[in-house]
Amino acid sequence: MSAASKIAMLKDRALFLQKARSFFVERGVLEVDTPILSKAAPIDEHIDIMSVDLGSNCTGYLHSSPEYAMKRLLCMGMPDIFQIGHVFRQQEVGALHNPEFTMAEWYRLGVSYEDFIAETIEFVRLFLGNLPWATLTYKEAFLRFAGIDPFEACISDLLLCAQKSGLEPPSGIRDDKDRLLHFLLGFVVEPNLGIDSLLILTDYPVSMAALAATEEKNGEVVAKRFEIYYKGIELGNGYLELTDAEKQKERLLESNQKRMEAGKSSLPVDLHFIEALFLGLPPCCGVAVGFDRLLLLKNKVPSLKEVLPFIWEEV
Amino acid sequence: MAQVSTNEFKAGLKVEIEGEPYTIVSNEFVKPGKGQPFNRVRVKHLMTSRVVEKTFKSGEKLNLADVEEGKMRMLYKEGDEVVFMDDKTFDQISVPLSSIGQNECWLMEEVLYDIIFYKGQPVDVQPPTFLEMKIAETAPGVRGDTASGRVLKPAVTETGAKVQIPIFIEEGSKIKIDTRTCEYVSRV
Repeated sequence: MSAASKIAMLKDRALFLQKARSFFVERGVLEVDTPILSKAAPIDEHIDIMSVDLGSNCTGYLHSSPEYAMKRLLCMGMPDIFQIGHVFRQQEVGALHNPEFTMAEWYRLGVSYEDFIAETIEFVRLFLGNLPWATLTYKEAFLRFAGIDPFEACISDLLLCAQKSGLEPPSGIRDDKDRLLHFLLGFVVEPNLGIDSLLILTDYPVSMAALAATEEKNGEVVAKRFEIYYKGIELGNGYLELTDAEKQKERLLESNQKRMEAGKSSLPVDLHFIEALFLGLPPCCGVAVGFDRLLLLKNKVPSLKEVLPFIWEEV
Repeated sequence: MAQVSTNEFKAGLKVEIEGEPYTIVSNEFVKPGKGQPFNRVRVKHLMTSRVVEKTFKSGEKLNLADVEEGKMRMLYKEGDEVVFMDDKTFDQISVPLSSIGQNECWLMEEVLYDIIFYKGQPVDVQPPTFLEMKIAETAPGVRGDTASGRVLKPAVTETGAKVQIPIFIEEGSKIKIDTRTCEYVSRV
């Protein structure tokens, strides 16, 4: 990429950073900038956190999303808030991944799940134009593109499904239903999502709820979690937020447990976050959208390399 | 044995999968939203050259394949084997034709080849990108063929390689060939 075309791209990036901020300001959403470095860590089974030497044998952690700190602000009584900032994830390197990337995250109090999804679509349209959009449940997407019911299927069904697609799941996941579902989602389902329109994938299995509330739907309990896709690329992840502090604490401990079972390090639980939740998180929805990927799709380029000032290989 | 993790997989790296040596062709990071991360890796078998796709959990490790490369000069063919010599040490080795496979048609005495060794055994012989050789067999060029657009004709070289050459080149002429594509480059 020539210096001139890189500069043109960075001008576009600057323009859209500004447009994104205006989007929120016009809607009365307040900008916050929470610490990126913390003494506790965000805990997610499949996200590895970067640690920082704080001196005196103390370790700090770079956030993988500003979620905990932003929710603490909501518990404290802050109104609707947004943040556009850098987040960090270990070892995520590829055409669509950079270990440090820019995330736009926002929370809306007292909004319905459906209205919040519509607002997320509006934000994405700011970059990609007035695209139509559709919704598929996790179950519908698997039925349509993998020919399998992800809730009913047993492990051998999932292995057979992979085999039919000419894929061989790695040996370490062949006895783990959730990981096999991730495998099929990543290799079989996702490439089909959002081909001609924006696509919202919703109603995840409870085991993949993370920080989302759950509800019973047609006899199945599903997580009110959604992801937004365009051209097979995941753009963001949102929740009807779980406000039950006790449940949230349980899920964090469970994720930590799963990390240890997978041979990863256990991480210090953010007690400030848990304490805040016990004070009470007001009913709200939140979403985090990958800013760099929006620019990538907007500019129709194949790799984040084109839209970032410098990628990981260059710093 | 030295190991490499999926995030260090680069094109050209030689690794061992289920006891077999492969060269990495490409490596793609795939992570479904909040899910287990994977790497989709295309690998080429060192001996058969067959390209297959494998998936790994990100962070999984593979043994580096015990592969070495060396330049050696071909001396002569002997039955089903070909004898090469190291120019510096004068060491000689015999490589079975079965390991040379399709590249047999590029074997010429006195030429330097890249020999690939796996666990000390020669498993592959790579010819130089360009080779000069004589045309052993071809039909005489027929006047007027150019008008109908047929400017190339089939030929067989002294080493047995099949190549398309311009019609004006006759048997016994020497030509330069691109061994990657089997294409005629120029007259020598």
